Amino acid sequence: MIGSNTTEAHPVLALRIKKAVRNGATLVVADPRKIWLTKLAKRHLQLRPGTDVWLLNAMMHTILTEGLQDEDFIRDHTEDFDAVREVVMRYTPEEAEKVTGVPAEAIRATAREYASERHAGIFYTLGITEHACGVDNIWSLANLVLMTGHLGYESTGLNALRGQNNVQGLNDSGANPTYLPGYQSVDDPEIRAKFASVWGGEVPATPGYRLDQMISGLHDGRIKALYLIGENPAQTEPNVHHVEEGLGNLEFLISQDLFLNETSRDHANVVFPASSFAEKDGTFTNTERRVNLVRTAVPPPGNARVDREIVIAMAKALGADWPEYPDAESVWNELAGLAPNWAGITYARLEQEGIQWPCVDSDDPGTPFLHAPRPARPNGRGKFFPVEWQPPIEQPDSEYPLVLSTGRTLYHYNSATMTMREAGILDKQEDPFFEISPEDASNLGLADGDWARLVSRRGELEARAQIGDRVYPGLVWMALHFAQARVNWLTHDVGDPLIGTPEYKVSAVRVERVPA
Amino acid sequence: MVEFTLDGRPATASEGELLVHAAARQGVFIPTLCHDDKLEPYGGCRMCVVDVEGAPRPMPACATRVAPGMVVSTNGSTTDFRRTLTEMLLTEHLDPNPGGRPNELTDLAQELGAEAPFILPDAKREPYEDRNKLMGYEPDSCILCNRCVRYTQEVMQCSALSLEGRGGEARIVPTWGKSWLDTECELCGGCLSVCPTGALHEKFLTGADVEESALTKVKTTCTFCGVGCQLDLNVDPATDRIVKVTSEPHYVSNEGNLCVKGRFSFNFVHHPDRLTEPLVRGEDGELHPATWEQALQVAADGIKGVIARHGTQAVGFLASARLTNEENYLIQKLARNGVGTNSVHSCEAT
Repeated sequence: MIGSNTTEAHPVLALRIKKAVRNGATLVVADPRKIWLTKLAKRHLQLRPGTDVWLLNAMMHTILTEGLQDEDFIRDHTEDFDAVREVVMRYTPEEAEKVTGVPAEAIRATAREYASERHAGIFYTLGITEHACGVDNIWSLANLVLMTGHLGYESTGLNALRGQNNVQGLNDSGANPTYLPGYQSVDDPEIRAKFASVWGGEVPATPGYRLDQMISGLHDGRIKALYLIGENPAQTEPNVHHVEEGLGNLEFLISQDLFLNETSRDHANVVFPASSFAEKDGTFTNTERRVNLVRTAVPPPGNARVDREIVIAMAKALGADWPEYPDAESVWNELAGLAPNWAGITYARLEQEGIQWPCVDSDDPGTPFLHAPRPARPNGRGKFFPVEWQPPIEQPDSEYPLVLSTGRTLYHYNSATMTMREAGILDKQEDPFFEISPEDASNLGLADGDWARLVSRRGELEARAQIGDRVYPGLVWMALHFAQARVNWLTHDVGDPLIGTPEYKVSAVRVERVPA
Repeated sequence: MVEFTLDGRPATASEGELLVHAAARQGVFIPTLCHDDKLEPYGGCRMCVVDVEGAPRPMPACATRVAPGMVVSTNGSTTDFRRTLTEMLLTEHLDPNPGGRPNELTDLAQELGAEAPFILPDAKREPYEDRNKLMGYEPDSCILCNRCVRYTQEVMQCSALSLEGRGGEARIVPTWGKSWLDTECELCGGCLSVCPTGALHEKFLTGADVEESALTKVKTTCTFCGVGCQLDLNVDPATDRIVKVTSEPHYVSNEGNLCVKGRFSFNFVHHPDRLTEPLVRGEDGELHPATWEQALQVAADGIKGVIARHGTQAVGFLASARLTNEENYLIQKLARNGVGTNSVHSCEAT
């Protein structure tokens, strides 16, 4: 487990891990914090935030030095291995210890155990991706998996645990500037022609903006109107004060959501009252690529409408010539008809059981292992990407001496517009809090539960100190859930150069006492 | 493959299979109370005992693995034994139905024709109140099968609940007698999901007086996190409100387990803060209720105006991982086909 606080972010999946450990599996947790799972772990690699590449390259160094790699798999199923060998041989466990804080022997032992166990899987979440080097981190993990042949069969692989209920499906269904539904490139004229023939009307060829580019576009004038559906960027984006300034530059903003939120309250021109999961039909796709049905249980309140109907009404109001979509199934059928990997999935089949894509026709039972019998690239070979470590963008200094990392807790959900309205859950967690080590708290004169001020170059907030050894001296941690103390007032917005993912996991802050 | 004899007929079991499972596959259902497939074999309540030839005493089918040549009888003397055992449990089972949950003990009593011959003088146990707002415990319904405690220990691997006291004093308590809110408990409600008698039950905002059998169950997919837990929204048809959330052991991905959000965070659906009318910002700078026709017109005019002044590239769409595949598909189609831009993305850029 690396960069995944599974018992809080994916509590039910964590039950599988707990069960596996009970049945004799070896668990190693790599995380800057002493999270719950470390209680069950044989070893906790408590690395400094943003040093994953060092840890992983040093593990690969050990594997290659000791000859533990899977030569057959590398020869038959991969390409560009030598480029990685050349790089990782410079990353010794002893040097890694200096950078990561993880003892060299622990790195070696983990590398040996991982390489020599046939059923060894890697699970990661946002602790890996939410860095300016997020793509590098993934490549490093992929290199480790390919080098040891842990791919394409049970209890192996590189498993991304999707944070929200339909992250997987959101991208599958084409809400992405680069891909049309089914990961079909918008750059490909034949693909565009295929969609144009079904939709009627050209599909634009001009590249679209990613989220981070839209946010910067608010400031430089490229973006003048935004249509937000179930999004609250004034809480969830990094460096929120800057985002709010940008939202103020918009000429027009539409918000479609369950509640007024920090974004719509101040910035929306029009607010559409939308529907919760309990009020609609459709599908979500889970972290195993399993498409599951969502069914209507209750009607939307008042004049709120199902999101599908609102989007269709907007298309009509904008003059688009769309077919009648009498229900969610008719939309699914259009999607599945355009995306070959979903072509075999129908609502009738989903009524029986969720299906894992790819599922290309009605006889296809679905695909539990994406990379079986070989890596799912056109040439059937997994590609090694050599990765050199890049330090985090912002380093602690004398003015901002602590590293701030952020994340989620068990009891709340993202901007918490839902969970902050559950009285029974608020009993467990209501006030904004941050985790701080006993050493740092003592230096600051803070007692457990004291209010303190967190200050970064971009903003400040007040939260209660939760003192404990979950974090080590020099590290503080806070969740993103609190509207009155938005941790994204503090975070910086320099993201991954390739895909723009923000570095929520590393900012520099200082903590101050708040006079009683 | 293991061959054995079940009620006089030849039968087979897989290696190491529990007798209760092997019998079920042959169509012979042996009643159980303390057994739960999520938990390790326990053999505590003796309800599932069967006669095994050569064994000195009746054996619990939930904790006995089929051995080659075993000769098993499920319908001999043990039937009377089960009835007697059920009657004994009924003598201290004062509240058959707290919280409207199904009750495996009273179902079994009905099937076996068992009734409480009398009520034990010390059957009334000390009531138990906890300040948490999600879960309650009714000692007078509890048969001390320990499923809940074993769930916390084996599945959650925490020490939230304990069995306290002996005899008529015995009951289940949060460990050390603290509040549920002050133990290791994560409020997942797994304990109440395995309770056979509903002694552990949800505390309800509404619908507490409605039998679970009168609720409409709608199977759907959880809206929190990417695990995709399958669950049943239990709706009170009289009010169209979700009353509680349950799940079944055979549901793929979560095997009937849920977390605190999946099981208890559904009241937001009915929260008075929900938006129920479209809103349009007026010249006074405030948001005002509007009809759908007005709001759609203002929204379309706003987008068209920006396109006219700055072109289609000046319009961006943020879809959401909260929405269904179908909705996200339509949103990207609206961006590309309705407006003419590929700028459609979401905060799930991570």
